[in-house]
Amino acid sequence: MDESPQQFRAIVERHQGRVYSIAFRILGDSGAAEEVAQDVFLELHRALCRIETEDHAAAWLRRVACHRATDALRRRAARADTIAEEYKDGMGLRPAVREVIPLLNRVEQLLLTLPPAQRSVMLLRYQEDLEPEDIAIELDMPLATVRSHLQRALKLLREKAQRTLKEYSRG
Amino acid sequence: MVDRIDDFERELTDQLRPRSAPAGFADRVMARTPAARAPHRVWLSLWRPVSWAAIAALVAVTVLGGVEFTRRQRIAGQHARDQVVLALRIAGLTLRDVQQKINQDDSRQDNSNTTQ
Repeated sequence: MDESPQQFRAIVERHQGRVYSIAFRILGDSGAAEEVAQDVFLELHRALCRIETEDHAAAWLRRVACHRATDALRRRAARADTIAEEYKDGMGLRPAVREVIPLLNRVEQLLLTLPPAQRSVMLLRYQEDLEPEDIAIELDMPLATVRSHLQRALKLLREKAQRTLKEYSRG
Repeated sequence: MVDRIDDFERELTDQLRPRSAPAGFADRVMARTPAARAPHRVWLSLWRPVSWAAIAALVAVTVLGGVEFTRRQRIAGQHARDQVVLALRIAGLTLRDVQQKINQDDSRQDNSNTTQ
């Protein structure tokens, strides 16, 4: 692809929402999400000579955004508190994530209670509208694993959604 | 289950539409690209001769230090060798004296045996 600054800027502007959303919904933190999203685009800038088409760039960005955000999540979990704490209290959210809850919609809040691998698969399925076969290719994951992640994540989300709805109606 | 779209999945798709990136996001990414950071190279180009001079001075000091160290080692080695040679010479002289005394004693004993 053309490596000129104008061309690269056009790519950033076209895909920034998608990349930022993936990072934000995996991390649940706008500052960390912006940092990861910027790093993903800079990585794309370095790899631009290997990117052949616009579709290739989009797929590359989705894949790298999922991986980098998941890596950042793991680093954060290892640094501060164990990832197990993320699934403990109430809806299963860490205190740090609770601070940004007002900025998140209901589905985004529920999504943050899922394990990281399930978050990535769910985002590619419902945000990016990809078929399980395409998700398997993009995340370099067996198709059976993708289907299993989707089924488990949907089951978990349904249960949590019903639980929060009951709590809400109970007052 | 995954293939069948129901209300819950429709809600997922609806609420997981891509968000907008924060304002100025593209500008911040562009500012971090190598092309945008080119002005820093002016400072690099000014700093470079200084760094080369520092590296040259360091190399010169290291080489000269090495040469001086080798010279001193060689002198110390020479000195030690001279001392060993001197010690061997003294030992040789002492041995020669002892040998002479033994020879004299032997010849004196031979003479006394002959006269008897």
